[in-house]
Amino acid sequence: MLEFIISNNIVCHAVEAMLFASLSCSILGVIVTQFNVSSIGFTMAHAAFAGAAIGMFLGVNATAAAVVAGILVAILLGPVAEYSRMSTDSILGVFFGMTMAIAIFFIAYMQYLGKGMSASALLFGDVVSLYREEIYALALISIISIIFVYLFYKEISSLIFNRKIAEASGISVKPLYFAILFMIAIAVSLSLNIVGGLLLFVWLVTPAATAYQFCNSLKSMFILAPAIAGVISIAGALAGLAWSVPVAPLTAIMITSVFVVAVIISPKRKISYSKGY
Amino acid sequence: MVSSGESVIRLKNIYTAYEGAEYPVIKDVSIEIKRGEFAIIGGPNGAGKTTLLETINGMLKTTHGEVTVLDMDVGSRGRDIRKKVGYVIQNFSFDPMTPFSAEEVVLMGRYGLIGPFKKPNEEDYKKVSDAMKLLRITDIAKNPIGKLSGGQQQKVLIAQCIAKDPDILLLDEPFSNLDLLTREFVSNILGDLAKSGCTIVIVSHAFDALPDTGIRIIAMNDGRIALDETCDPGEVENKIRLVSGGIPGA
Repeated sequence: MLEFIISNNIVCHAVEAMLFASLSCSILGVIVTQFNVSSIGFTMAHAAFAGAAIGMFLGVNATAAAVVAGILVAILLGPVAEYSRMSTDSILGVFFGMTMAIAIFFIAYMQYLGKGMSASALLFGDVVSLYREEIYALALISIISIIFVYLFYKEISSLIFNRKIAEASGISVKPLYFAILFMIAIAVSLSLNIVGGLLLFVWLVTPAATAYQFCNSLKSMFILAPAIAGVISIAGALAGLAWSVPVAPLTAIMITSVFVVAVIISPKRKISYSKGY
Repeated sequence: MVSSGESVIRLKNIYTAYEGAEYPVIKDVSIEIKRGEFAIIGGPNGAGKTTLLETINGMLKTTHGEVTVLDMDVGSRGRDIRKKVGYVIQNFSFDPMTPFSAEEVVLMGRYGLIGPFKKPNEEDYKKVSDAMKLLRITDIAKNPIGKLSGGQQQKVLIAQCIAKDPDILLLDEPFSNLDLLTREFVSNILGDLAKSGCTIVIVSHAFDALPDTGIRIIAMNDGRIALDETCDPGEVENKIRLVSGGIPGA
């Protein structure tokens, strides 16, 4: 897609993959962080991680298996929380532990069988050996994420503000909540191969948390978070390939460093003395 | 469309229970509330007052009985009902950093009415502006909701419900964060709304600033209606005290 700017095919693919993964994850990350349930992001990331590990072990497409596992957890979350009469956050904790255990089990077993190298891509990401179709799928989910937020902005904002008030105003809260879970499941599953299961939530949480340091409105967060994630991810891909260092870990360090700087210089912690004492 | 004087809320032998609870919170409650009535639901803590409000707007499901609001069955058309019924929740608390201004929060009251895939139009913004003028909170319109005082937040939530032009307004402890003068001010607004045909149903423990109009008292105790009559504002507190047994927090 970006060949007209970047002539080198490997670099072009890496930049495209990092750009689209960062766009979809950071847009949905704004919802995740503002809901105050970052554990949704962690759990979805690990569900995809476990699915991909199982897929790899069985010799089927790891990305497709990750998407299936992510969607399965999204489907199960609500009913299990309701049936067990526990908070969604507690159920997320249960799923998080279970999916992490499944992923570690299969990765360790593959290492025992001598397939450890391919499994390491699931942990730390691999931007070089991606199929073109995977990048197209990521581009598609990025576009769908943008359209979804644009079309349902008022419902999403109401849900983020207060779930009970949203329901009382006549919004269909449950379908919207599940739609958000599905979107997160698909976006993190497709991003798994690129940024890795252990680093995925850096893309989900940190750009939104960085944008939050400068934004007083949800709208501006939906613009600034993907802008920050996109720019740093492109820079990370170019730097990583130029210096032959792992792209995803390098970019994760860059994103986190920008967050630390943002917290330090954030205007939200400044007190104005201009209008009296 | 329900005409003046007709019942807009009809509850017939309803029971409402929370999941996993051994006994229902509301037991065999039957009431009818007419268009334009000003009703106060009183009674001791745990009597089932909030549960009754959330049963009326369909946020809680009944285990038995019939609930009809604005001629619609709550079980099958709960969301349609909630578009026409304002509900001010109790015990709200907002993160000081929540990224919404007071004006945005008032506009949220109309989101259900506007429906999916549509943006708020001029009329929506006018209703928001009118509601904020009515509550005298236009000066804080652009302020973040989380940084307002409890009383200001309370007024924003009341404005949010008024902005949706409701046929029925359910308010759960709407005076809890307000000083006496503001209670009188808000109470008079609610009294005027009732006169214009909006049905007002309030759960409250503060009876010192009621509007000068006939007040219907629905006093609850242990999930049942213990008293249901219309009286003058000055009589409300004593009647509710009698039902509560005169014991605070009983």
